[in-house]
Amino acid sequence: VLAGAGFAALAAIYAIAIPRLLHTQVPGGLVLRSVDLHGYFSARELARASNFEAFLRVDGVLALLAPVAALAVYARRGPALVRESAAGRIGTGMLLAMLGFAVVWLAQLPFAVAELWWERRYHVSRDGYIDFIVGNWIALGASFLFVCAAILVVMALAAPLRRSWWIAATPVFVAFVALQAFVTPYLVPEQHPLRSPVLLQTAASLKQAENLRGVEIDVQSVRRFTTEPNAASAGFGPTRRVILWDTLLGGRFTEPQLAVVLGHELGHLKRNHILKHVAWYALFALPIAFAVALATRRRGGMYEPTSVPLALLVLVVVRLVALPLQNTVQRRYEAEADWISLQATRNPGAARALFANLAITSLAEPRPPGWSQLLFDEHPSIASRIAMADAWQRAHPL
Amino acid sequence: VQPRHPIRLIAHDDLQRSRLTVFFRLLLVIPHLFWVALWSIAVLLVMIVNWFITLSQGRTPDGIHNWIAAYVRYVTQVNAYLYLGANPYPEFGDWGGPGASYPVDLEVDPPAPQNRWKTAFRIVLAVPALLLASALGSGSVNFAAGSYYSVSFGVLGIAAVLAWFAILARGQMPRGLSQLIAYALSYSAQVGAYLLLLTDRYPDCDPQAVALPAVAPRRALRVNVADDLARSRLTVFFRLLLTVPHFVWLALWGIVVLVAVVVNWFATLFRGRSPQSLHDFIARYVRYALHVNAFLFLVANPFPGFGGRPGSYPIDLEVDPPEPQGRWRTFFRGPLAVPSALLGSALSSAAATCALLGWFASLATGRMPRMLRNLAAFALAYQTELYGYAWLLTERYPYSGPVFAPEPEPMAAEAAIAA
Repeated sequence: VLAGAGFAALAAIYAIAIPRLLHTQVPGGLVLRSVDLHGYFSARELARASNFEAFLRVDGVLALLAPVAALAVYARRGPALVRESAAGRIGTGMLLAMLGFAVVWLAQLPFAVAELWWERRYHVSRDGYIDFIVGNWIALGASFLFVCAAILVVMALAAPLRRSWWIAATPVFVAFVALQAFVTPYLVPEQHPLRSPVLLQTAASLKQAENLRGVEIDVQSVRRFTTEPNAASAGFGPTRRVILWDTLLGGRFTEPQLAVVLGHELGHLKRNHILKHVAWYALFALPIAFAVALATRRRGGMYEPTSVPLALLVLVVVRLVALPLQNTVQRRYEAEADWISLQATRNPGAARALFANLAITSLAEPRPPGWSQLLFDEHPSIASRIAMADAWQRAHPL
Repeated sequence: VQPRHPIRLIAHDDLQRSRLTVFFRLLLVIPHLFWVALWSIAVLLVMIVNWFITLSQGRTPDGIHNWIAAYVRYVTQVNAYLYLGANPYPEFGDWGGPGASYPVDLEVDPPAPQNRWKTAFRIVLAVPALLLASALGSGSVNFAAGSYYSVSFGVLGIAAVLAWFAILARGQMPRGLSQLIAYALSYSAQVGAYLLLLTDRYPDCDPQAVALPAVAPRRALRVNVADDLARSRLTVFFRLLLTVPHFVWLALWGIVVLVAVVVNWFATLFRGRSPQSLHDFIARYVRYALHVNAFLFLVANPFPGFGGRPGSYPIDLEVDPPEPQGRWRTFFRGPLAVPSALLGSALSSAAATCALLGWFASLATGRMPRMLRNLAAFALAYQTELYGYAWLLTERYPYSGPVFAPEPEPMAAEAAIAA
């Protein structure tokens, strides 16, 4: 009865929360007409982007599958590594989890290096191989800390709660994720405040229009590693911040185009997209934790360190399965941010030029295959973004 | 069991030193350094000829072997004099062979057949040994642009500096430092002999393999090694990263221990003895740090626990219960620990070199070489004693000699004599 009531309550929460989280300010009846790409790109540019992305797609698919294969082997053989530990139950669980991450890192490394090689070949990346691997290695160390904290929570809760650890662990993980989202702006390296007086003026007027006073605009120095332009919004509440890569500045993009970028990132903050991601996580953490608990039950549940390799496999498979859904939600939010930016800047011409320029500078294929969008793309295609600018213009004739 | 090494150090040091010659030691040794430099040029030329001969004949001719052996012995004696490992002024080359005329001398076996591959690639093969020799050696001065320079000390260099002060103060060489200097000289001589083709047996840095006077005072913190040398390649490959959670826990726990050490300092100062609960708490942290360092430096294989429990790890620590401590020594514990900390830092570099070399060896063979494990274990044991001393677990000064057999207790010695 209790389980049934819980399930019903959960279903009710999902039924209320999901439509609210999916709701955006993009008009429901907005029609995106097909865009003639030859009006924006030369045949050579289209062919170059297509060649560039074709390799990355194959590499990306292999990089997605490699961890699953590696963890499938690790789930079978990993428990034997218990003999490499003198650390007791939880410490051994931590060791097995870290080794699982290490195995995934090793499995993905060749594909990551291949991607770097390809990007260097097309002058999109400037990162050196050694720097790249060392950077990845250090990032792996940071991920070890997070996975150890997660294992500590799960295995500590599994002692008193045994099979029901997942109910208590979920709020803890949600709190972790919220905390991470909150402090992320402080963890981004090599930031400095935006110095351009013109852009600061633009940002001030956009912030006023969106009622986002107090949001800082920073620039991150990435030019040493990449030529790719990018921007991001991070944090929530008092830590909200827009971060522009310095590859956007220096004359590659016009000031009206950069205003569209600022409007887009402020749009994310205005619509609380980061908090909504935390909410999505909260919605799905519970069933995922339950799936892990269910899958590891035959190995003694998460009380036993030998269950950890299998738990990692379940998590990676779930993540792979959820990836298209996650990308779909993210694309929806990106589209909303584009729309808010168009509303704020009221300059569809600059938006179209920005999107075309983004495609050329980052060698993005303007209209990628559907399956590729489903698996890899967190943003709408360039063709869709240009079409949205067209649609906005049609809806707002001069 | 390893056969005995063809290059062996013989040390019979009575620990007596002349303050006058010690004070001017660096200047007194100049004529010898000049002679060493001249002899080295000749040895370099002969070595090139010897390399071709050994490569073609598979062994070094007797004449050349003896001449180079005499050179290595002489350099060892000069180094022993320079680094205060011996007191008398050495001869300018002892041509009569090892007659134990100098307190620190070498025994060199006669020429033996040498593997041609090992001869052909001798310089490359010697690189790991040279790395280790540099960590165990005197140190170096690095000049940068302008008038900037930096000095880095190896184990031998630090030991000699500390010994210099100790001898000037006491007129006697501390026994631990004497043993440590003899050990470093032994390894340096073996590396030289290997490079100069006196033998194709690899230099052995195992402190237990050096025939030193094999007694040491009973230590208050004793490290027990129960490791079988087998290593998991996967955990070795990621060893540094796998230690990251332990670093975090060490740092967090360390903050509390710092407070406990301060409280312990006041308590020991007033009571003359460390309170049992604080003693146990700090000892547990010291043991945990030992476990973590043993894992990091590949001295042991399993992932350690986070509690520092006794008996939970192959490299373990026994700590004596609290003992009475002198108040003056307690009051000045920080400054008193400084010399030991300097030596500990040089030994840490040696342990890091062992870990680096051991990393490659363990990945290749799935086993940690015994000599690297033992040297790193010695370095960690010294560090552990240092923590124990600095944090008032004991007032016995860390013993720097790489010797673990304790002196017999007076009662046991009397019983043995009676028997």
